[in-house]
Amino acid sequence: MTDIRARVFGYRRKTDESEDLLTVLEKIPIFQGLSKRELSAVARVLHRREYVPEEVIIRQEEPGLGMYIIQKGKAAVMSEPGDIHLSELVDGDFFGEVSLLDETPRSATVVARTHCVILGFFQSDLFSLIERDPRFGVKLVVRVAKIIGDRLRKANQQMQTLSEELRRVRGAEARADRP
Amino acid sequence: MTFAKTRPFWELAPFLIAAVAAIVLLFLAHAAQVVIIALLLAYILDPIVTAIEAREVPRWTATLLVLLSLGLIVGVVAALFVPVLAEQLRALQSGTTNQAAATAIGTIQQAVRERLSFLGLDDFDLNARIHEFRRTLGEDVFEFLVNDLLELIISVVTIPFMMFFFLKDGRVMKKNIVSMVPNRYFEFVLDLLYKMDVQLGNYLRGQFVDALTFGILSIIALWILGVNYFVFLGAFAGLANLIPYVGPIAGMIPAAIVAVLGSGNLGSALTVVIAFVILKLIDDFVIEPLVLATSVELHPVLVLIAIMVGGGLFGILGMLLAVPVTGFFKVVLKEGISTYRKYRFS
Repeated sequence: MTDIRARVFGYRRKTDESEDLLTVLEKIPIFQGLSKRELSAVARVLHRREYVPEEVIIRQEEPGLGMYIIQKGKAAVMSEPGDIHLSELVDGDFFGEVSLLDETPRSATVVARTHCVILGFFQSDLFSLIERDPRFGVKLVVRVAKIIGDRLRKANQQMQTLSEELRRVRGAEARADRP
Repeated sequence: MTFAKTRPFWELAPFLIAAVAAIVLLFLAHAAQVVIIALLLAYILDPIVTAIEAREVPRWTATLLVLLSLGLIVGVVAALFVPVLAEQLRALQSGTTNQAAATAIGTIQQAVRERLSFLGLDDFDLNARIHEFRRTLGEDVFEFLVNDLLELIISVVTIPFMMFFFLKDGRVMKKNIVSMVPNRYFEFVLDLLYKMDVQLGNYLRGQFVDALTFGILSIIALWILGVNYFVFLGAFAGLANLIPYVGPIAGMIPAAIVAVLGSGNLGSALTVVIAFVILKLIDDFVIEPLVLATSVELHPVLVLIAIMVGGGLFGILGMLLAVPVTGFFKVVLKEGISTYRKYRFS
C-alpha cells in the first residue's frame, strides 16, 4: 500500500529517508563498519542543507568547522585566485574532513553544480558524540586520523614521484647541455 | 567564473528581529522568569545528564534520573531547613526584642543622631523603623501567600517540566533553530553558538557552584558565631554573592545588624564583618579559581547599571539574573564580532 502511494503521489515515509541516509553514511570511510545504532547516532547530529546550482558551499580561507557529505548532486572544487578547477564531487563524496580535528582555514572553495543535498558533520558534533559516548567518539576520531594519515601518505608518494621526475628531467637537461 | 548570488546580510534580519522580539516579549511577560530559570537550570545540569548518558543510559532516562535526584535533594533540604527558616522568620516578625537588643538599638540611634545630624537625621527613630519593617514583613508574607502562592505553585510544577524537555530535547531544538539560518550564515551561526556554549556554560556553572559554596560556608560561619536566623541570612549571602561588588556587602549587612540586635553588643557586628571578609578572601582565592574556569570580564559601571535595570524590572530576581544575562550578551557580542571577522561576508 505504501509502495503504491509512494509511486503515485511521490510520497515517502520518514523511515525511508532515514534508511537512505544510513545507506549514504555506510559508504563514507569514516562511518564504514559502524553498527546501525552508531550510524543513527551520527545521523541525528548531521545538518541537512540544500544548495542551488552555483551556490558556494564552503569558501577558501574561511574557518573550517567540519566535513560535508554530498547526499545528492554534483559540486566542483575550485582554487582561488583564478578559479582553477581542481575536481568534481558527486553523490557519496565528502570533503573538509581535516576540519573535524583542526579549525584551519578551508584550502579550496566548493560550489554546487546542480541542486545539492549536503550533510554537514561538524567538530562540535564530534565533540558532543565523544562526550556522550566516549568509546564511539574515539572510534570516529581514529577513523578520521587514519583517513588523514592515508591522504598524507598518498601526498608523500606523489611528492616523491614528482621529485624523482624533476631529478630525471634536470639530469636529462644537464646531459643535453653538455657539449 | 561567477557563483550564485550570495544571499545578502539583510536576509538574516527577520531572524534577528524575531529573536529580539522574542527576548523583549519574554522579558515583558511574567512567564519569562519561569522560562529563564528553567533554561539556566537545564543549562547548568546538562553536563551531569550527558555524563550519565555516556554510560549508555538513554537521554530521557538520564534526564529523569537527574531531575528526580534534584527533587529528592531539594525535598530533603526543605524538610530540614524550612521549619528552621519558618521559625526564624516568625521570630523575626513577632519581634521578641530582648534587653540587649534594646540597648544596642539605643546606642546606634544615639550615634546616628549625633554624627549624622548634618544629613537631617537628628530625629532618627530606629525603634520605629524596626517596628515598621516587622509590620511590613508580616504584611508582605501574607500578601505573598494570597497573591503569589498560585504563581509559585505553577512555577514549581512548570520549571521541572520545562527543564525536562530542555535537557532531553535541547540539542534537537538547537539543531532546528540552526536549520532555519540561510546557507551563507549557517557555519558562522554554528561556530558562534558553539563558542558561546563553551564560554557561557563554564561561566554559569561556575557562578552557580560559587554561590552554593559561599552560601553553605556563610550558614556555617553564622551558625558558629551564634547569629540568629543563620540559615536565612547565609542563604541570602550566597545568593547575593552572585552580584559582583555590591552583593557581598549586601549579604553581610543584614547579618551584622541581626548580630547586633541579638547580642546587644556592637562588637558582634565586627565579628560578622571579619567572618565575611575571611569568607570573601576564601571565595576569591580558593573557590573562584577552582570553579570559575571562564571569567566574563564586565566593567564595574556596566555591572551596576545592569543590576539597577534588572532590579527595576524584576526586583531581587532581576538583580540576581542581571549579571549572568549581561555576561551572556557580552559573550554574544565579543564572540559574534571575532567570529564575524573570520568570514568573508560582503
